[in-house]
Amino acid sequence: MEEAQNIVGQISGADIATAAKYLAAGFVMAIGSIGSAIGEGIVAAHALDGMARQPEMEGALLRTMVLGQAITESTGIYSLVVAIVLLFVV
Amino acid sequence: MLEHLGEKLILHVTLGNFSFSFDILTVIMSWVVIAVLVVVALILRRGLGQDIEEKPSRTQAILESLIDLLKGQLMSSFSSDKLARELFPFVSTVFMFVLVSNWLSVIPYCESPTKDLNVTLSLALLVFVMSQLLAVRMRGGIRYLKGFLEPYPFMLPLNIVSEIAKPISHSFRLFGNTFGGAILVTVVSAKFAPVLVPAALNAFYGLFVGAIQAFVFAILTVAYINVAVES
Amino acid sequence: MHLEWGKVVTSLNWTFVFNLVNFAILLYVLKRLLFKPAIEYLDRRREQVATQMETARKNEEQAKKLVAERTGALQTAYKQSRHIVEAARAQAEEIIGQGKDGAKKEVEHILENARAQIDQEQAEAKHELRRSYAEIAVLGASRVLGREVNLDDHRRLLDDLLSELEEDTLRMKL
Repeated sequence: MEEAQNIVGQISGADIATAAKYLAAGFVMAIGSIGSAIGEGIVAAHALDGMARQPEMEGALLRTMVLGQAITESTGIYSLVVAIVLLFVV
Repeated sequence: MLEHLGEKLILHVTLGNFSFSFDILTVIMSWVVIAVLVVVALILRRGLGQDIEEKPSRTQAILESLIDLLKGQLMSSFSSDKLARELFPFVSTVFMFVLVSNWLSVIPYCESPTKDLNVTLSLALLVFVMSQLLAVRMRGGIRYLKGFLEPYPFMLPLNIVSEIAKPISHSFRLFGNTFGGAILVTVVSAKFAPVLVPAALNAFYGLFVGAIQAFVFAILTVAYINVAVES
Repeated sequence: MHLEWGKVVTSLNWTFVFNLVNFAILLYVLKRLLFKPAIEYLDRRREQVATQMETARKNEEQAKKLVAERTGALQTAYKQSRHIVEAARAQAEEIIGQGKDGAKKEVEHILENARAQIDQEQAEAKHELRRSYAEIAVLGASRVLGREVNLDDHRRLLDDLLSELEEDTLRMKL
């Protein structure tokens, strides 16, 4: 009991901030990537649907799919940037 | 190895009373990229036959298929042929610069210049400024400014934010992908598996993701310019 | 001038400007070195291919026209030759017909001649026969009567008999 109180007493504000930083980075990546992952999956699925239906349109579909995924990925990238900033800058 | 994770080597230079600092490794690597591209261009240029009647050589066939690929995959998104012809060298140079930059991380002791936010942001801002200038040139200043009031005048802040968000997301996407891949490879090779696995990871992030991101960067360049000119 | 590790990974500094300059140089060099000549070359070749295609198209058209002309001429010649053959055949038939007619006539002529000759000979033979019948009859009668029969006296009688006989015998003979 004494020991535990001792450890708690040793924890400074900076330690709490560091812990919160890492935790926040992990949460940012975990939650932030869900949306973009699902979105990209939907885009790929529909593009594949279209390709299966019209194989001659494959080139245009692939190009549009990559473009759409890139834009969908934006939110994921934002969360990645926030995580990087949390880890290395803050 | 990990104590400098997420940091970069910065050179501070003081000339008289003017001082500036830059990332020495990034600048050197971008010079390497430029040297590689110029050498490739020289080789391809040498293969280009002067006589049209002549049978195309091997290098010429490579050059032609490269140009066909760039034209078919990137330039076909342009709505106007004239603009596509005009911007073909620019978009191709962006694509090849980013591609070689991303692929450079595969070579030992080299790192991608695109790992640095300065590089990607400079490219993205260049594209942004270019798209706005082209929009002004193609549509005229008044119609360009009016475009920000579409569809309703109270959407003005939203339109401005969406315009500014373009270069930011454009640059951060490339930076995040390359930097994230590099960090992942560094962490895995330092902490978990020093042999073989980092090589495979590096090949995946450097070659595959690098090529995809270069393509995405180029196609977003085309899309942003096209949207700015069209709408 | 000194090196140090920068803490801030997303910091912006002069690398930004350097990279812009680098990129501008790269763009200029690649444009001059690669894209301009390559695109010029490709354009030139496309133009040449287009002109060649045009020439080939024209040549093909001309060839088609020539072939059509040749075919027309050939058909005319064929028609003409058929016409000629038909005419020749008609002429030949006419000639053959004429020849047949002539032959028929000749045959008829010959037949008529032969018939006439036969008739004449028959008549002669009849006459001869009649005379010999008369003589035989007279001879027989003189034998029966036991005396000479004057031929001239009983001419009429004999003639009647003869004619009856003649008719019977001739009928029997023929």
